Amino acid sequence: MASDPSLLAYPTILTLHTVGMAIVVGTCVVMDLRLLGIATEVPLTALRQAPRLVWTGFIINAATGIALFTTDAEHKATQTVFFVKLSLIFLALAVYARIRTLVFRRPGAMTMPLAREAKALAILSLILWTGATVAGRLMAYLL
Amino acid sequence: MTVPALDPFVEFIRSTRMSQVFRNEVAWLWPLCESLHFLGLILLIGAAGFFDLRLMGFMKGVSLRSAKKFVPWAMMGFAVNLLTGLIFFISQPQQYATNLAMWLKVVFLLVAGINAMLFETSFSDRLMALDAGADTPMSAKVIGAVSLMSWFAVLYFGRMLPYLDPNPRSGV
Repeated sequence: MASDPSLLAYPTILTLHTVGMAIVVGTCVVMDLRLLGIATEVPLTALRQAPRLVWTGFIINAATGIALFTTDAEHKATQTVFFVKLSLIFLALAVYARIRTLVFRRPGAMTMPLAREAKALAILSLILWTGATVAGRLMAYLL
Repeated sequence: MTVPALDPFVEFIRSTRMSQVFRNEVAWLWPLCESLHFLGLILLIGAAGFFDLRLMGFMKGVSLRSAKKFVPWAMMGFAVNLLTGLIFFISQPQQYATNLAMWLKVVFLLVAGINAMLFETSFSDRLMALDAGADTPMSAKVIGAVSLMSWFAVLYFGRMLPYLDPNPRSGV
């Protein structure tokens, strides 16, 4: 074990970033699967609390993400894959916001058959989060 | 952590053709498996977490029977991670075999597994009969909380693995 606790500060922030990812992306993926027809017995109204989880995870990851960036800004600022990751996260959150409006905010929408647009958005969301996750992982491997 | 008794085992794995191919001949294998390992963990924690939260008494509007429909997706994530995890181990066994974080990860994998088995064998039938809207008994809340906490512990020790107990021999 490392003897100096400060040596573990970076890995701890990195690990928190992974915990936040599991919360944000895990919640979005479950919602996407439900919109695509998995576990249709689960009422959409039950997922109304999902935004709170997504925001909690997002705040953890914005904070830990900024901290991680500052430890290695000169390098990360030059990484194409870093900007690809940020763009994919931005797009995924925009899709998420649209799903929220379409499914959770429109009166009566939750009991009506889902619009085709909701399914298309769910597929898009899965693709964007997969891309963001892979891009994040590849930051450790690509120049 | 050093466990000299495991050295011959580590050397044997490293000497196998499969280990050498993984390690030296397929440069993209490691990043590919890392990416899949992260996607698997998202699926596992997202889907299992949903069921665990319902067991803990959240989202009472969902019956446990319906919430359980997500569990096969968690198992799919687990299968992806077991496979990619084995590839990591076979490629670089010296990074894992004598790593304390790895063993703690395995301990929490066992806790999660035994907890899930206990649920299936002793509690599932009674709980699955509960309707939407019903609160869960304390036993279900404990099982849900243990499950959720052990999966996050697995994630924690997995992510901290290269840092908590760095292996001087790993050289990667």
